[in-house]
This record gives sequence, C-alpha cells and structure tokens, in this order.
Amino acid sequence: MLFQSWIFLFFFLLFYAVYLAVKRTRFKNAWILICSYIFYGWWEPWFLILIAYSTLADYAALAIMERSRRRKIWLSVSIINNLALLVFFKYSGFITENVNLLFSLLGMSYKLPLPGIFLPVGLSFYLFKSIGYVVDCYRGDVEREKNIIRHGAFVSFFPILLAGPVERAKNLLGQLRESLKISWQDVADGFSLFIVGLFKKVALADSLTLYVDKVYDTPGEYQSAALILATFAFGWQIYFDFSGYSDMARGIGRMMGFRIMLNFNNPYLATGLGDFWRRWHISLSSWFRDYVYIPLGGNRKGKFNTYRNIFVTMMLLGFWHGAAWAFIIWGGLHAVVQCLMRGLERSRFYEESVPTIIKQVFVFAFVTFAWIFFRAASWDDASVIVRRIFTTGVANPNFPLLFVFLIFLVWLYQYVYESRFRWILRNSAVRTGAVVFMILYLMVFASSSNEAFIYLQF
Amino acid sequence: MAEKDTLESEKRRRAVSGQSVMFSSNEVRLSVFQWIVVLGLVGVFLYLVSVFWVGMEQFEAESDYRFPYQLSNDYWLYKSYCQRVCAGEKTVIIGDSVMWGQYVKRDQTLAHYLNELAGRDSFANLGIDGGHPAALCGLIKYYGGAISGKRVILHLNPLWMSSKKHDLQVSKEFRFNHPRLVPQFFPEIPCYRASISERMGIIIERNVPFLGWRRHLQLAYFKDENGIGRSLPEWAMAHPYDNPFRVFTSEIGDFAEELRYEPKPWTERSPTKLDLSWVELKTSLQWSLFQRLVKILQERKNSVLVVVGPLNEHMLNEKSLTSYREIKKNIEVFLKEKNVSYYFPTVLPSESYADVSHPLSEGYSFLAEQLFDNDVFRGSW
Repeated sequence: MLFQSWIFLFFFLLFYAVYLAVKRTRFKNAWILICSYIFYGWWEPWFLILIAYSTLADYAALAIMERSRRRKIWLSVSIINNLALLVFFKYSGFITENVNLLFSLLGMSYKLPLPGIFLPVGLSFYLFKSIGYVVDCYRGDVEREKNIIRHGAFVSFFPILLAGPVERAKNLLGQLRESLKISWQDVADGFSLFIVGLFKKVALADSLTLYVDKVYDTPGEYQSAALILATFAFGWQIYFDFSGYSDMARGIGRMMGFRIMLNFNNPYLATGLGDFWRRWHISLSSWFRDYVYIPLGGNRKGKFNTYRNIFVTMMLLGFWHGAAWAFIIWGGLHAVVQCLMRGLERSRFYEESVPTIIKQVFVFAFVTFAWIFFRAASWDDASVIVRRIFTTGVANPNFPLLFVFLIFLVWLYQYVYESRFRWILRNSAVRTGAVVFMILYLMVFASSSNEAFIYLQF
Repeated sequence: MAEKDTLESEKRRRAVSGQSVMFSSNEVRLSVFQWIVVLGLVGVFLYLVSVFWVGMEQFEAESDYRFPYQLSNDYWLYKSYCQRVCAGEKTVIIGDSVMWGQYVKRDQTLAHYLNELAGRDSFANLGIDGGHPAALCGLIKYYGGAISGKRVILHLNPLWMSSKKHDLQVSKEFRFNHPRLVPQFFPEIPCYRASISERMGIIIERNVPFLGWRRHLQLAYFKDENGIGRSLPEWAMAHPYDNPFRVFTSEIGDFAEELRYEPKPWTERSPTKLDLSWVELKTSLQWSLFQRLVKILQERKNSVLVVVGPLNEHMLNEKSLTSYREIKKNIEVFLKEKNVSYYFPTVLPSESYADVSHPLSEGYSFLAEQLFDNDVFRGSW
C-alpha cells in the first residue's frame, strides 16, 4: 500500500490507535512487527516468506557468531546469504542475459532460459539494512539484539521498509529498545514532514512524470530542447519522488516517536560531486562508504587505490539501483567525474575563488546529464538522447510553465534556506503559509495519485 | 589535508551524530498551535468554497435544459442542478439516456413534449447519459437529496436486464458507466475490479462535498478536447503556456448540443432481430438496485410514477419477446405490492425507434401523448 492511498490512511489509523496504547509496554515491538508484516504482505503475501527467512537467518548467524571463535565465518555466511537473495531475485535475469550474450559472441547457439523472477519490493533496502547491522555487530559497534521480536521489528519496520532510508541499527534498534514518549510536538513534526513529502510526491513528482514519460518513451521523436528539459525534469522528478517518500516515512516514524535519519539534504545545491553524495540518498551513500569504500581502504593507500576504491564503490552503487548496464554506466560516470574533480574540489582555488553558484550549476549540470543513463529505457535510447541533444534543432518543447514555476519555487526556497536569508523562512507566517499552500494545492489541483514511487523498483 | 577516511574517523562522526538526527532540510516545521491554525484556515477555505462556488457559478437551467453528456460524471454539478430544479414546482424525470434523449435534441425529448402538452414548463429532464439502475440508485442516494417531496417520473429501461453483462453479473472485468456511483462493496459486482483503496476514495468523495467539487473543477474547467476531466498538471501538459486561472469563468463552459448518433430508424441501422438472454428478476442486480432506488425516493416523500419501457418489441425475436413479457409481469407484481404508481406504455410504432430502447423525436411525442391520456398520470399530474 502506498503512503498516499486511502487504504494506508485506514491502516495507519488502526495501527496508531493501538500503538498509542502499547507504546510503553512490551507489546510495542510485537505490534510494530505484526503491522509491518501486514503492510508488506499487502503487496504480495509470499514476500513475507522472504523477509521472515532473511530475519531468522541473520538472527541465527548473529547468535552463533557471538559464541563462536570463528566469527568471521558467520559474518560471511550472513552476508553471502543476504547477497545471494539479492542476486537471485534482482540480478539473475541480468546475469542470464549477459551469459547468453557471451555465448553468442563465442558463436554458441545454446541459450540459458531467462528466469523471469519477480523482484520483491523493498528487498534491496531491508537486506542492506540487515547486512549493515550484522557488520556493526561483528565490529562491536552495536550490541546484538537477543529479542527475536525486536530484531524482526527492526528489519521490517514498515515506514522505511519499502524504499528506505537504509537505517543503522545503532539508531533504529536503539529506539526500538527504548520506552518511547510521544509528545504533541512529535505528532506535529510528523505531520510537517509528511505533508512536505506528500506535496513533493503528489504535486511535484507526479506532475513532472507526465512530461518525462512522454519524451523518454519515444526520444527519437523529440529535439534538443525537449530532451534537455525532460532530462532536467527527471532530475527533479526523481528527487521529489524519492525525497518525498523519505519525508513521509520519516513523518510517520516521527508520529510513532522515532527519529529516522535524514536522507536528502538539498542535493541540487551541492558545490562538488563529493558534496552531492553527502546530500543525495544519504543513507545509501553512507552505507557504501562505511561497508564498501572504507573496508577497501578508502583513501589510505595512495592515489591509485583511492581512485580504484571510488570506482568500485560507485559502480556497485549504480548496480544496486538496477540490473542493467545503464545503471553501472551511470555509477561509472559519477566515479570518473568524482576522480577527476577530487583534487580540484579540495583545492584552495575551488574553495575560495569559484563562486558558489558556479559550482552548483556545474554539479547540477553533470548530475542531470548522468540521469539520462539512469532514466533511459535502454542503452540505445540513452545514446539516441545524448546524440539528439547535441545534433538536433530547437523545436518548441511545450514544457508547461506551471512545472517551471513549481520547480523554481522549490529551488528558490532551498537556495534561501542555505543562504544568509534563511531567517525569512523561519518566520511563523511564512512557515504556516507554506503549509497552507501545499495542502490547498494538493486538495484542489493535484491529481489523485496512484503512481508508485520510483525507488520501489529498486 | 583531508582527514583520512578511516573507521575511527567515521566512528567519531557517528558518535557525534548518534541519536541526534537532523530534523529536515527545510524550515517547514510547525508547532501544534500552528497546525491548528493551518487546519482552521483550510477548513474555512473548504467551507467558503462549498458555499460560495454554487452562487458564483452561473448555471441557467432554462426550459428544455438537460445535463450535458460531457458532464455526465460531474455528480457535484448534478447535485447543484437538482437543487435548482427542485427549488421550483416541476415534476422531475429521472432515467438513463432514454429519458435524456440520446438520439434527439433537447427540444425533442420526453420532457419537452410533456411541457408542450401541459402548456407550461412543468417537467424537468434529470436524465443522465449512461444511467443504468445501479448508477441511478447511487446518484439519487448521494447527490439527489434535493429530490424530496416532489413528483417524480422514474423510468425503468428493461434493457439493463437483457443480459448478464448489462446486469453487471459477468466475472470478466469491463468498463461500465458510472462506476463511482455503484455500490463499492455490497452487493458485490463481479466485473468491477477497482482496488480497495480506490473504492474507499470513492466512498469518501461521496461524503465529502469538497472532493466532489474538486472533480467538478476537473470535469467542467480542466477538460481536454474530448471532454474528459483532467487534473491541473494534465491540463498544463495540453496547454503548456496558458494561464490556468483563465479557465475559471463565471459560467460553466458551453457544451455543444451536437447529436452523437444519427437519428434514423433502427431498420436503417441494423434491421436484424435480437435474441436477448434476459436475466431473471429475482437474480438481477440491476433490478434489485432499482427497487432500492424506488424505496429511497419513497422514503424522501416523493410521489413516484414508474414508467417501464417501452422497449422496441419490433426488434425482439419470439423467444426474447416471450421472456420480456414475463419480466414485465413480474415488474408489475412488485410495483403493485409496493404501492407504487406505474405505467407500461404500449409499444411505439417501429419507425419511431432508433434502436432497441431509444425513441426518435416522434417516439417521444407519442409517449408524451400516451402519458397524458393515462388516468394515473392525469390524476397525479
């Protein structure tokens, strides 16, 4: 069930009514677990077998690891088990296609049958959450959770189950262990987060998708201006869609008394590519930093190894997004530019002499260009788009001024937020007015949204 | 010199961030009191819109007016139309496209000819295109509250029981008219496959006038060239450089009265006889909801005259005709039991039918004359 659906509202009201009664009792986590399973099973009941298996397997591995002298083996068992699930459900089709491609390149007529396996929603997110938790336990950063109910509630915590944030055990498990107090301000904060997320998703992302889909579905029919604007729109669409989901998830968590990590921090105001990745999908990028980049050596073993580590991390991050070469290329693009810009971004010249707006424009331009590979239906389509952007004329793109206005409004808000005029936004009337505007816009003008979130496909 | 990316430095970073999670990347954070103010302002807006929009929107239901078929799904406006009509003393005519007049212009409908015979504007056409009994029941129940204490001519088009598909009893999903008006959960309609969330949204919309008003905006103002209602973003896609506020005029747009179907006799269209698979009344979904509709109208102290048909019997084969006559008998039994006034018009001349249920202009004229010659009708009206 999507957060912006009536059925979710009904579900949450029922959940919350009981939750308020049990939040300071030992039934709190059991209730969270039960409702999380109902929430997840609503998509497809057999998903529950998978999440239950993953939860129990990790629980068992951690229990054994705690007692065993060969802790690394049990760490490896848990990680391999989780990655095996991911590979099977997410990448088996990709692997099979590429093996078949290899066969045909070698002149073999034999082809492996395509598995046609359906990717369970949220799999990538909760498996990574689990892997992070197991590694943290191994490192001694987090105490193993002995209560199976609490462990299950951590893995399946419904506000963040489907599309993150990829929470850390130290934060989420820590709060599950506490007896939570929920103040009226927590509820108010939850509403604030939720309404912003809902506006981003329903009013903004779902609007932009109308233009993006139209152009990206048949890119060969459009010229440069339309292709550029569609790419620009997609950059904002994916930001609104994903950050909107994160905001709604955090808002729901807040109403439950949980503080869930921030996942997006105005990424299009980044002044460097490193800065971009500290602002975009923070939970995932920090996960890759802590569990891939740093264990590989980070920047501790010389320039060559640093670049190698950046490449591996970014390619894997790209690959996490989808089983397609386009995502790997997208990750690779980011890796190349990050390596090239690394020295420049840390130079005094860049830090002190280049105006902030120039840095932001450059980073935005590159990130937007890279989105082409992320969004295009195939490598061929991406090639067509890139080629046509630079070779075709400028026909009327018919990009709605309404969308320009809305994007500009958001960008201006964010720009002011990070400027010395932030005090304007803190004004009570401005904050209240912004919320009234969002609610009325949603109620009067936005379409009834049944659009799923983009990141549910990952 | 940048700090080495070590586990220790990360641990330090984490120790600092720890449980202290940044609230948001914006300043949209309201206190409880501010949320109360927001909800109050939104509530005032919703109230003002529902009260003032009806008055602001010019909508003249003049003589021979019928609800534009392009707005057939605009139930909020239909409710407004009902309220305007029922403010006077007119007799209201409720039914589907037969009463609405699918093959005729608005000055050729039953309502028009009844007004002609009455010598004054006494009858109002509240027919709705595609209004099968299941939809009519929902329409009158949720949006026809103004029809209270009135004289009502309620038309029953028996064609809606002429097959399992018409009766909404096939299990294969198909798009039927006015899904937002039919019962969403009970009784179950096998061919209706909307998700639970959609159904809940429809039920909420029926009970929250503001949501109906929002749909009205989409259908009446943000419509596309085919007359299909669109949200603002969808409208903007079709009008990328236009000012959306310009669509709001004090009048609802002019909806052309072009005939969608050529008004010619059925013999020139498809002269073959029909073999209809009538659904028995006792198992018919449409009939059960028609009964419910009659009950709703009676409970609202309306004086109801049910007019059944007349179907184009010239178009039915012998077997269909026999079954149809049986159904008519059973309908009569029910109406008698429930003390509902009724009239079964005699079948019209063959050439005055456009298809199996819709008359042409002269057909409506004959029908009006039949009604005026009928004792029950004359006694009440």
